Amino acid sequence: MLVFRTPLENIDRPQMEADVVIVGGGPAGMACALRLSQLIDEHNAKSPDAPLSKENIYVLEKAREIGQHCLSGALLDPRSMRELLPGFEKEAPLDAQCNKEAVYFLTKTGKFKLPITPPPLRDHGNYVISINKFTKWLGSKVEEAGITIFTGFAGSELLYDGNRVAGVRTDDKGVDKQNQPKSNFEPGYDLKAKVTILAEGTRGSLTKQLVSKFDLAKDRNPQTYGVGVKELWEVPSGRIAPGEVIYTMGWPLTMKEYGGAWIYGSKDNLVSLGFVTGLDYPDPRLDPQHVLQDFKQHPFIASLLAGGKMIRYGAKSLPYGGWWAVPPVAGDGWMILGDSAGLLNSQRLKGIHLAIKSGMLAAETAFEALKSADASAGALGKFQQKIESSWIKDELWKVRNFHQGFEKGFLAGLFHAGLQQFTGGRGVRNRYPAHAGHEHMEKLSQLPADGGDEAHLLGPAKGDGKLTFDKLTDLYHSGTKHEEDQPSHLIIHDTKVCSDRCAKEYGGPCQNFCPANVYELVDDASQPYGKRISLNPSNCVHCKTCDIADPYQVITWVPPEGGGGPNYDGM
Amino acid sequence: MILVIVEQREGKLNRVSWETIAAGQAIAAETGWPLEAAVVGGNVGAIATEVAGKKLGKVYAIQNAKLDPYTPDAFAAALKQFITSKQPKLVLMPHTYQVRDFVPKLATAMGRSVISDAIGYKKDGDKLAFTRQMFQGKFVADVTFTGEAPWFATFQNGAFRGDKAEAGAGAAPVETVQVEIADGVVRNKPQEVFKEAKQAVDLTQAEVIVAVGRGIKEQKNIEIAKQLAEALGGELAASRPICDSGWLPMDRQIGSSGQTVAPKLYLALGISGAIQHIVGMKGSRTIIAINKDSEAPIFEIADYAVVGNLFEVVPPLIEEVKKAKAGS
Repeated sequence: MLVFRTPLENIDRPQMEADVVIVGGGPAGMACALRLSQLIDEHNAKSPDAPLSKENIYVLEKAREIGQHCLSGALLDPRSMRELLPGFEKEAPLDAQCNKEAVYFLTKTGKFKLPITPPPLRDHGNYVISINKFTKWLGSKVEEAGITIFTGFAGSELLYDGNRVAGVRTDDKGVDKQNQPKSNFEPGYDLKAKVTILAEGTRGSLTKQLVSKFDLAKDRNPQTYGVGVKELWEVPSGRIAPGEVIYTMGWPLTMKEYGGAWIYGSKDNLVSLGFVTGLDYPDPRLDPQHVLQDFKQHPFIASLLAGGKMIRYGAKSLPYGGWWAVPPVAGDGWMILGDSAGLLNSQRLKGIHLAIKSGMLAAETAFEALKSADASAGALGKFQQKIESSWIKDELWKVRNFHQGFEKGFLAGLFHAGLQQFTGGRGVRNRYPAHAGHEHMEKLSQLPADGGDEAHLLGPAKGDGKLTFDKLTDLYHSGTKHEEDQPSHLIIHDTKVCSDRCAKEYGGPCQNFCPANVYELVDDASQPYGKRISLNPSNCVHCKTCDIADPYQVITWVPPEGGGGPNYDGM
Repeated sequence: MILVIVEQREGKLNRVSWETIAAGQAIAAETGWPLEAAVVGGNVGAIATEVAGKKLGKVYAIQNAKLDPYTPDAFAAALKQFITSKQPKLVLMPHTYQVRDFVPKLATAMGRSVISDAIGYKKDGDKLAFTRQMFQGKFVADVTFTGEAPWFATFQNGAFRGDKAEAGAGAAPVETVQVEIADGVVRNKPQEVFKEAKQAVDLTQAEVIVAVGRGIKEQKNIEIAKQLAEALGGELAASRPICDSGWLPMDRQIGSSGQTVAPKLYLALGISGAIQHIVGMKGSRTIIAINKDSEAPIFEIADYAVVGNLFEVVPPLIEEVKKAKAGS
């Protein structure tokens, strides 16, 4: 019997007053905390008689340590960091500066190099970083500045006071598989905040609650997503130079899927490689972890990795939808940052610099709110204006229709992308519509039984143990760990949908799109199609793909007991 | 006056009480308040005498036949009477299960609150604050009493060093106090004291382990693995899906989220051998794997590989083992 996590009712929760609570200690949240601290320091130096305190500013981070749930390529566009900490290059952990880039179109065995690197993929001057190490460093700056980071604490619910967001409830700890308190039970805290800032990353669970409560997606394009599956490799020296950047399009994907790969040369013969698959593919049997395994078998990639060793694995979703999918970013008592707001440039596949910038602008807004003791929708609404008059909008406006152009396939996408390049992002109209990715999924009855052109991408990858890996082996390298005795944090609102409909209609796509083997359809003769859903929640790498891609939209991802999750050391 | 209530369970002093006495001595030294101790029970004279060896002004043996065995009703009633008559300023206790059980009742009955599970104290002028952990120890808060004495506080295990409790120059006087506990006060009916079952299985000590995986198909089939384990004189273990399904308890799970073992013989029945399982048993001296999938990764580390249906292989194996054992 599956029991799902839900905050316990009728228990006394400790309350704590806070000025600002930032949910999520990634680049956006950390940049926000750091900027806020800078502004308070400046203010206190100028007006020592009316000082502001940093004591009641808190960052919540569900990972056991700062940065352990952060996953990205990553290439850092330094623009916002230079604004936040001028001269940051001298002390930040930057692994290499990009000095060489190339874009390839792959066929099954061949490769075609694009004669020129398209301007959006030019990365000269950007830095190859480990987002894990970078965030740890940024977090240490925040702690040095005197702001408290609560690691191992997730935001489980938003607190409301009428229509005002009044803070955050943290996760209940010590709850068993049946959702009953154990002897080590510790109730979540109610952090009553003047300003609540959501910086949870893609598909934030509190952000989702907020968007739904206030219908924030109204008049927006639906957000669309990709899932990036990454492996970190150590290869023999001489294969790729530190700072060398390679992007590929084409194989193993066909013309029906959207996506591509990155390969970044880092220092110490480390190579970051990964494949982003758009979560708007048609065939429910497609498996993004399998896509990465196929990709590595291309002769070009296989020769790069031969003799090397895979040392780490992970996966994370990212928002593709662009400007038209960004919800209102501020309201009464709240602001939304970074990937949670969808501030990612899908053409450049970059969001870290935008996340940081949004954090800085939110900090300026929160600072004004603290000074004037006004965190109303009117006061925090200035964050919306700041975003719209900053380079965040300039950058996103030019690519506002980029991903939508690919909804009808790769070739149409190239046409639209080309046209948009010459029309300042407009293309054939100012606002291209979009469909939620899961709406593109087709039923098995509409697809060839043998998979057709997609056959090689479907179902679980086998893995040879050297170049390619089955999913469980990859998962092992994510270092994922959770308290085992806790309710499932993957909430399936109606498991009958799994056994009575999905087993037949889609054949359980959750088994395929989940990069961590959380979902399984197991044999059960008592069910109409002989299958029922079974979950392995402690495998979860917190990528949120299930919440996004499930065709019936019956899965909700909520944070498990704080501290659990992947361990993305060096990723 | 500072009163330390030491803890006895079934006539034995709980050693953590020395820590509370040490805490009381430290606070007494800083405040100049006299320090006394008390022990509660049916007949606790001997314990009171033991405690009286420490540097204390006095030790009370609070007694009544109704205080044995322990019940929260009787303890709260007895202590309320005693504290009301002696009027201590501060009442200190160790943060034990027993104290957690009765102290909310006691404090509520006296209209007071408790600062519980403190890890230290601070004296700030004439204010006494107690330090408590918050957010699982990431934060500490200093908490003070605002109301009238008596103030109740409990200390976390290990917050003070029990061996630092100072002995007195001579034995402290012991006074026996008979408290009244009216009929009907004690509503609790104590059952036999729960003794934690001794760890049923220590897989790390087993020389032979028979482990089952998903290939066992149904819970009732675990029986044949059990028979094999018994025939071999070994322990039964499992891979994660079996324990997840509740077919075997979690303490029999082998692998990255369970136990790590290295027996002389490891028999893997219907275990595919995902790396998560292998890391928990790869140190085994001899590994025999039975699996119907010839490509199962378990075979890569197995010393003996049996490709076949375990339901056909295991029963004759049990018979052979029994025969061999009978013959030897």
